[in-house]
Amino acid sequence: MSHPKTPHVVDARFMEPPEPFVKTMEMLDTLKDGEKMLLLLYREPHPLYKVLKQNGHAYESELMPDGTYEILIWP
Amino acid sequence: MQALLSFENTPPFAAPLRFFVTAPLFAVLAGLLLLLEGPALFASRWMPATLAATHLMTVGFMLQVMLGALIQILPVVAGANLKRPLLIATVLHLGLSIGALLLAGGFYLGQPLLLSAAALLLGATVLVFLVATTLALIGVPSTSPTIRGLKLALCGLFGVVALGAVMAFALAHGWALPLPVLTDLHAGWGLGGWAGVLLAAIAYVVVPMFQLTPGYPARPSWWFPLAMLTLLLLWSAAVFFDLNALIRLCQGLAAIVGIAFAGLTLRLQQQRRRARADATYHYWQLGLTASIFALLMLLTAALWPAASNFAGWTLLFGILLVGGGFLPFIVGMLYKIVPFLAWTHLQNQGQAKVPAPSMNKILADTDMQRQMIAYAAALVLLLAAVFFPDWLARPAGLGFALASGWLWLNLFGAIRRYRQFGRDIQLKLAAKLAGNK
Repeated sequence: MSHPKTPHVVDARFMEPPEPFVKTMEMLDTLKDGEKMLLLLYREPHPLYKVLKQNGHAYESELMPDGTYEILIWP
Repeated sequence: MQALLSFENTPPFAAPLRFFVTAPLFAVLAGLLLLLEGPALFASRWMPATLAATHLMTVGFMLQVMLGALIQILPVVAGANLKRPLLIATVLHLGLSIGALLLAGGFYLGQPLLLSAAALLLGATVLVFLVATTLALIGVPSTSPTIRGLKLALCGLFGVVALGAVMAFALAHGWALPLPVLTDLHAGWGLGGWAGVLLAAIAYVVVPMFQLTPGYPARPSWWFPLAMLTLLLLWSAAVFFDLNALIRLCQGLAAIVGIAFAGLTLRLQQQRRRARADATYHYWQLGLTASIFALLMLLTAALWPAASNFAGWTLLFGILLVGGGFLPFIVGMLYKIVPFLAWTHLQNQGQAKVPAPSMNKILADTDMQRQMIAYAAALVLLLAAVFFPDWLARPAGLGFALASGWLWLNLFGAIRRYRQFGRDIQLKLAAKLAGNK
């Protein structure tokens, strides 16, 4: 799945926890320098944010009209 | 990976659990009170036993679970961490449990001293909670409708408890206050401003997460909590200035806002991707349907006040909204939260070397479904008892006590199995580590 913001997308909107978390961490491991990934979710993943901060990642979250949070993450 | 999954700041399991296993006992007490008092409890909403039973349900059960769950989920849904969660849990749990008993006792026995003590204790307990959560939420920007909803729900909690305390003192000391109008307002703040807004704020996260539905659309999610709080402020002003038409307008609009939220949630549930309908799904279907009927009653009374003159109107409304709506929502969520938390803690104990048993082994869906059927039967009896109190009041009380006792058994059983699995995992882990040496 691709997205205008980046080709690296985890669409976790119909996944049960902890799958969104696991899939995101897996994709982050595969990113090359300068690449970003996008996580799609119907909630703000605060526990993930915390881990991202601890690991030195940056992220940006945007709530879309349909209730999807688009979370752009980069190393 | 496993280390990353064990969020260090997650409060210990013991913090929320004590609330969850105490709450059903208050529902049992309410059922037993009905069994003891029988038809007298259905004579009017102002009967001492009726007021006692109502507060056993709302303070003893609802507030108990809501505060306990918030201690647990504030970090997850808002990224806000309470400082010293275990200490706060201990204080809140004691304050709420004793406070609910004092309050129910004060109403039932007509004891001014008990009422005053309950108002002081519950007021102080909720104040501790409000200070702790405000400190945790200060500096947390409202980036989601959930966070804004939580902040507004806390205002609702302040409103209901402040009004409740003033009314308890008024009752105890004979202050001249318009108690019937204030009681409606108190119920509005409690069920709309606190419980309703909190429910919505949490539903935005847990309905899509646990039932695999689409998300709540952003715009109504932002507006619902704000609309409800604004209506309650307006309703309060209308009470202060004695504007009866405005009171009715606010009640009617609050009903419409609530129906819109319940209708939207029903629509989302119809689009769920989870193939099997579990106990939580059924509990929520029951809760949403009963709430819509209750709110239609509120709307009818706002448009046509004479409707509420029918005997049993307010009792029917209260049973539908609290017993049919909020309790099923709360039990439905408990049935997800308790096995999920137990599983997470077991997963962490296994340190990725020993897997945790499935959630169904911690609390079997069949056990939850059976309890739910018992609860639904008790609810039908309660509703029918409004019309045939002489025949059905006592059976309804017994049924409600049994269904609530069954809930306690289910939750307690889950905790017992969680401890057993924990011991097994420790043994297996020790054996594995010894084998690796």
